[in-house]
Amino acid sequence: MSNVEKVVKHDAGEVFDIELEESILKANEDLAAKNRELLQRHGIKAIDIMGSIGSGKTSLIECIVQRLKGKCRIAVLNGDLTTTIDADRVAKHGVEVIQINTGKECHLDANLVAKAFEEMRLDQVDLLLIENVGNLICPGEFRLGADKRLVVISVTEGPYMVLKHPFIFMEADVVVINKLDLAEAMGVEFEKLRGDVSKINPGAGVVGTSCRNDLGIDKVIEALQISD
Amino acid sequence: MTNSIIETVLDEANKRNAKSVLEVHLVVGRFTMLGLEQLRYCYRLLTKDTPLEQAKLRIEREEGRVRCEKCKFDGPIQFKEEPQYHLVYPTLECPRCGGPVELTAGRSCYIKSVKLRA
Repeated sequence: MSNVEKVVKHDAGEVFDIELEESILKANEDLAAKNRELLQRHGIKAIDIMGSIGSGKTSLIECIVQRLKGKCRIAVLNGDLTTTIDADRVAKHGVEVIQINTGKECHLDANLVAKAFEEMRLDQVDLLLIENVGNLICPGEFRLGADKRLVVISVTEGPYMVLKHPFIFMEADVVVINKLDLAEAMGVEFEKLRGDVSKINPGAGVVGTSCRNDLGIDKVIEALQISD
Repeated sequence: MTNSIIETVLDEANKRNAKSVLEVHLVVGRFTMLGLEQLRYCYRLLTKDTPLEQAKLRIEREEGRVRCEKCKFDGPIQFKEEPQYHLVYPTLECPRCGGPVELTAGRSCYIKSVKLRA
């Protein structure tokens, strides 16, 4: 029996307010922080590569892997709804590749990436490239624990891609504008797209590439600070 | 997202032996990717036949705020206009010095409070 005489209780039917301050996005943020800690403990630099469908995320990864595979140990996580098409392309270059199939989810989240870590030999990796699902909307919301976030778009998507999706460009550390070899045919100017990125996020580095012709890749590597 | 909101509220209601939930007060930042229309729609579908069925969903918006390392500006995020496309968009450019700023508020999504009936 308690010695306390005064106990205040809610009566049946009484209405009471509860302050909760319970964050819904926090679960992912916490997991992302854990991922980051794990990566740092293993000395791994990780890049979250976001971008539109067909903008050249996989091609860019292939180009980066070709440049750096002799210099450091690279692993690649390929996020996609279904298929291992992208993972197969990257695996040809002789680096460790893990496919993450999200089923119907339009983005990777910190939990899926943490699950992929369980399949990896983290002590044998220096650089981790994470290819997010092709989408310029939700991937921005869910951080994965990477050091840097890269957004890839291409001139074939037209001249308004950046201004139409300000939120994901606000999240970017580096923006790659790909397929510059087709810019003239598309009537799209690189400088216009670069200017749009700067208007939204003046802190982001912008690099033009033509992955098909292996052009601009060194500048991407430089902007991401992953050359060593 | 809506599911985890509902689960959190149901947990709280169970913990406190509440019979029903009268109101859920949610704060959603303007810089999350959440669509309020979809959120309300999913909420209506998912709360059916639960103690939340009658609960009002009150959504408060959290505005974007930025801080500039260089000039120490701390205040609301700036918006720019592109009248040619009828477009207003946010920018991480400092309204005072033009340098890059960091977003300090506007990405939250949390349940601020719930109103329960015992």
